[in-house]
Amino acid sequence: MLRITVNGRATEVDADPATPLIYVLRNDLALNGPKLGCGRAQCGACTVLVDGHAARSCQVKLGDVAGAQQVTTLEGLGTPEAPHALQAAFIAEQAAQCGYCTSGMIMQAAALLAEKRAALTEAQVAEALDHNLCRCGTQPRIVRAVMRASRQQGA
Amino acid sequence: MGVQTPTRRGFVAGLAAGAAGLAIGFRLDARAQQAAPVGPPMLRANPKLDSWVRITPDGRIVVLTGRVELGQGVLTAMRQIAAEELDVAPARLELISGDTAETANEGVTAGSQSIKFGGEALAVACADARATLVTAAAETWGVERAALSVTDGVIEGIGGRRMTYAEAASLVSLVRPVNLAAQRKPPHAGTIIGTSLPRTDIPAKVFGQQVFIHDLRPEGMLFGAVARPPAYAARLVSLDMGWAESLPGVVKVVRDGSFIGVIARREEQANDAAHRITAAAQWRDGEAIFGGKGVFEHLKTQPALTRTIHSKDAPAAAAARTHVAEYRRGFQAHASIGASCALATFEDGRLTVWSHAQGPFPLRGDLARGLRMDPAAIRVIHAQGSGCYGHNGADDVALDAALLARAMPGRPIRVHWTHEEEMVWEPWGSAMVVKLEAAMRADGSIASWGHDVWSFPHSTRPGDRVGCNLRSAWYLENPVPPSPIVDGALPNGASARNAVPIYDFPGQRVTTHFHTAMPVRTSALRTLGGYFNAVAAEMFIDECAAIAGVDPVAYRIRHLADQRLVAVLRKAVEISFWQPRPVVMGRGNAQGARLVGTGVGMTKYKNSDSHVAVVARVSVDPATGVVKLEKMWAATEAGRAINPDGIANQIEGGMVQAASWTLLEEGRWDRNRMVSEDYHAYPIIDFDRIPPIESVLIDRPDLPSLGVGEGSQGPTGAAIANAILDATGRRVPEIPFTPERVLAALRA
Ligand code: FES
Ligand code: FES
Repeated sequence: MLRITVNGRATEVDADPATPLIYVLRNDLALNGPKLGCGRAQCGACTVLVDGHAARSCQVKLGDVAGAQQVTTLEGLGTPEAPHALQAAFIAEQAAQCGYCTSGMIMQAAALLAEKRAALTEAQVAEALDHNLCRCGTQPRIVRAVMRASRQQGA
Repeated sequence: MGVQTPTRRGFVAGLAAGAAGLAIGFRLDARAQQAAPVGPPMLRANPKLDSWVRITPDGRIVVLTGRVELGQGVLTAMRQIAAEELDVAPARLELISGDTAETANEGVTAGSQSIKFGGEALAVACADARATLVTAAAETWGVERAALSVTDGVIEGIGGRRMTYAEAASLVSLVRPVNLAAQRKPPHAGTIIGTSLPRTDIPAKVFGQQVFIHDLRPEGMLFGAVARPPAYAARLVSLDMGWAESLPGVVKVVRDGSFIGVIARREEQANDAAHRITAAAQWRDGEAIFGGKGVFEHLKTQPALTRTIHSKDAPAAAAARTHVAEYRRGFQAHASIGASCALATFEDGRLTVWSHAQGPFPLRGDLARGLRMDPAAIRVIHAQGSGCYGHNGADDVALDAALLARAMPGRPIRVHWTHEEEMVWEPWGSAMVVKLEAAMRADGSIASWGHDVWSFPHSTRPGDRVGCNLRSAWYLENPVPPSPIVDGALPNGASARNAVPIYDFPGQRVTTHFHTAMPVRTSALRTLGGYFNAVAAEMFIDECAAIAGVDPVAYRIRHLADQRLVAVLRKAVEISFWQPRPVVMGRGNAQGARLVGTGVGMTKYKNSDSHVAVVARVSVDPATGVVKLEKMWAATEAGRAINPDGIANQIEGGMVQAASWTLLEEGRWDRNRMVSEDYHAYPIIDFDRIPPIESVLIDRPDLPSLGVGEGSQGPTGAAIANAILDATGRRVPEIPFTPERVLAALRA
């Protein structure tokens, strides 16, 4: 049994410490936010925050985050009643088509917003998200949504 | 229903709402409606009113559509259409989509046809329901129908009289054939259609609620995976089953011929076991793909079905000169971010499959033949997947899950392919060769035009009456062969989609050279042959314009009779501040250290759908051949717009995807199989390469709505190609326009 803390809640998980975290989050903890994409650190769909930093949960092992680390998924960012600025902005900009990449985009952007308090430029957003893929082609909307959230955060 | 497996965390609830026995209709009506010879074709095929709209005694208003959400926003558009005709607030409607036990059979959600056909059918059915309910109230109150109005599902009469739809529904029967002649609201009376209603599925996606098929986790679920052969043509010789079943977490190994499926307690255990089994099993090798040759050579030299499918004779005129050119495109993949997934349960001889396939009914038919079951014992329920852009592995994985579920009755089995599995085993978009020839008059205009296309199939989807197009069926001990392969006929066409010129050339010919043998399995990738036919034709017309010494826009307008196309072209030119000038072959446009160019491309998708013109500006690094997109503009006209922001999302998304196809994407193979198995081997566009995009919509509420989902792919590829021609003065005849190819053209 390994103890991990996800979205502020500690849980015991009965799995091999070498298990990629994505499977634990999705299948053991029944979280829908982090998505399994390439499984090879190439798409970013599985991005979560570990102690506030963006991490690819298909690469992080369960054992790596057992103990004191804080894992945050899309579910832990905000709720419909109290959305995170990015969640509200993605809705406002209608920044999705299928939405499969959405969680990874929001988590990667959340790390960016947490790091950079100053006003972001579109180029900075594009650079920060450059390794998150969207096959539907909603990148322009995603950039607009992150810019909107960043302005809100600055306000 | 027996198939409604024990649920937890809202499994099924949001996905198959209403499946669990909706009360419908309250009085059987024997008075069969005389079928009028008019009405939407989709309604004539599915004439039961209650397969489109239901009013329950407790006041729920349920709208049903056979179309499925693919991330294109179709359910939001359907909600708008139904709300408009019913006079009900959009948020009040409950939607059921793509369930073989509930909804109309609308075939596949593809080809940009949902709004044009499915939307029209739903609108007429809702208009019929509204008229029937209002008439019931009018008769009850003894007043004229015209004196009544409806506000959010409540019929209102003079003197404050009110009757809810549920009350009115108890007076009549809505379980009857649709009145095909029911009148839709005139467009000017609409208040919901034409507005950008926010997508109803987006909030759940940004809060991580259960939306996707990948999120279904019924109690007792186990995980499945398939141990794939090392080559498409390989067959299993032997496998140590005892060893395989002893692998960590493995509950059962199912072998049927060369199909080996694994059921395990954990997902990663299933995948891991499948990999190890593939490596440990003994396989018999098959023939090398394309006999080890290149695909273009294969297409041009191997036997194909050659047919001239369109021709128009030009009045005899002396051609001053001819121009001939050939263009090529390699295999391209759907490359969905989330790989294909399905969930299946088998209980009491009945199979239920949750699938993100584009056609629940066609899938059911192929599942029945692949499993040798009665289709009536199979139910397919749509659940959303990652965007698919055509026929990817979604259908195939449903058979994988079903084969495993049947081997373990009572246990729900979920199979989620790996990304590598998707890239290697999904059907790819066909490699193609297009050859164009034009006879030009002395004034430079085109007298006649010939378009030859060499291609593999563009539709090998499920849905035929015989055979099974689900991959694992071909590997069974007793294999079920695929359905006969046919090319799609005009006007829509498949390999020849958008090969018929949009221009008014007096002489025209389109000839297809169609290959039915598929060393690499191919099927529908967004637009089928449409993207590449349009790209090639639009590249070719720019070359003709250059030969004629005329500005590409002016040259197009000279040959266009279709005023709707002229309108989008003029609009794209206007918003991009197009500078009229002829392209000069052999001379690039240097600006500082770079070559810069602007190009235009346009189509009327399928020669019958949306009108889109795109302008692209690129810069090319002459030292490396790297093409950088600087900006893209688009003008779209698709008749009456249902949801303008939804259209913008589709058009702009299509531009980004087409830019990716055009500049980056090409599948590679070895003697065994496709080897472009991840995003390193098969890169797709990233944020860095996406330029600013500006798009405008020309709304024509006076004209029927047209499909837009695939409208911008061809024009975008063409605009980029022509911008490269303008920048470099050189033809680059093969997509994708990789730095090596551009450099080779510059140095030629
Ligand atoms: S699934 Fe982890 S980066 Fe793609
Ligand atoms: S919205 Fe579909 S992958 Fe990004």
